[in-house]
Amino acid sequence: MTSAIAACARGEQTGLHRVIELEGGRLMGIAKRMLQRRDLAEEAVQDALVQIWRKASQFRAGEGSARGWVFAILRNRCLNILRDGGRLSTLDDAALLAIQDGRQAAALESFDALDEMALKDCLAELEPAPRRAILLAYVGGYSHGEIAALQSIPLGTCKSWIKRGLDALRRCLS
Amino acid sequence: MSREQEAEAFVLGLMDDTEASRAEAALATDPEWARAVGQARDRFLPLDMTAVPAPVPADLWERIAPELQMAKPKAANLPSAPRLRRLLPASIAAAIALAVGIGIGSQTLRPEPVVIAVLMDDSGAARAVVEDYGSESARVRFVSDVAVPDGQQMQVWTLPSPERGPVSLGLLKEDRAEHLSPPELPTPADGQLYEITLEPLGGSPTGRPTGPILAKGFAARQNDI
Repeated sequence: MTSAIAACARGEQTGLHRVIELEGGRLMGIAKRMLQRRDLAEEAVQDALVQIWRKASQFRAGEGSARGWVFAILRNRCLNILRDGGRLSTLDDAALLAIQDGRQAAALESFDALDEMALKDCLAELEPAPRRAILLAYVGGYSHGEIAALQSIPLGTCKSWIKRGLDALRRCLS
Repeated sequence: MSREQEAEAFVLGLMDDTEASRAEAALATDPEWARAVGQARDRFLPLDMTAVPAPVPADLWERIAPELQMAKPKAANLPSAPRLRRLLPASIAAAIALAVGIGIGSQTLRPEPVVIAVLMDDSGAARAVVEDYGSESARVRFVSDVAVPDGQQMQVWTLPSPERGPVSLGLLKEDRAEHLSPPELPTPADGQLYEITLEPLGGSPTGRPTGPILAKGFAARQNDI
């Protein structure tokens, strides 16, 4: 992936082809999980690829993996779609409810789907509530306020759960 | 918050719009911050890998190809190419050329702006152009209509440095060309963030952006072009 991004930075379209070949399916999967609808997921992936092409020269290999950088651009596009007030307003209540249910379920299932590795072990050590909150944020793209509402807890409690959970997770992973 | 905690809040999408824009802008200027973000991304990467791959649309390449033609990235080994042209689709570049052309035609002997920033909304559509002349003078022009709800007002901001934080350039009365008299600031730099937020009438009560971001963009230094 690093060499594909380097090729994009040189203005070579084969680099972007390679990104799609390597991770196109995964990008669609991540977007589908966060947005639930195929049309929105396609839009997010499409936008993300154009951004990857434009920003490729800003990627610096020493600062993290190329794959992490690529996925971050996609997640950002997905968050923009979810949080743009007007963006989902054309959907009816049933469609919106389906998106909400799907996102929550997918976020929570992601824990079981994790390969046996440090992140899974460390997430497993957290209390269930902070673990769920972290998964809802990262995998489902939910904000502090939304997570507080989903878990029926005050916003302050939600923030401190997430903060404590992330601190414990970081200690466990280091 | 520690740098790691901030990086995680950014990576998990838990920052508000203003914080996130600031954090995003700092990636280009603060290598230590960029590394903290890169490492936080990699810590959570295994969760992305649990997404079940789905087929990409058959016409994916056809859909993105036109955008690639308009936005060819700068080759890493070339001397600094005009940033404005590199980052912007042709249609937006044309809008700026038009806007700049009108400005020059109607007001000869006007000083050249030090930087120009094209401010785009979430969808990437150009909304406004900020010309910052440095020396406490700037100008905003809108290139598409912006809806401002009753009881609110647009405020223009810039981020001279992450340490200093966002600084107000001024309030806008309506969505048309307007001169601003910002406070004394360092000479605007290439890549400096400019944004317009919706604030209560009279401007942000805190002196920092509090409302939603209508449009934002990064400055391009004009003596490079």
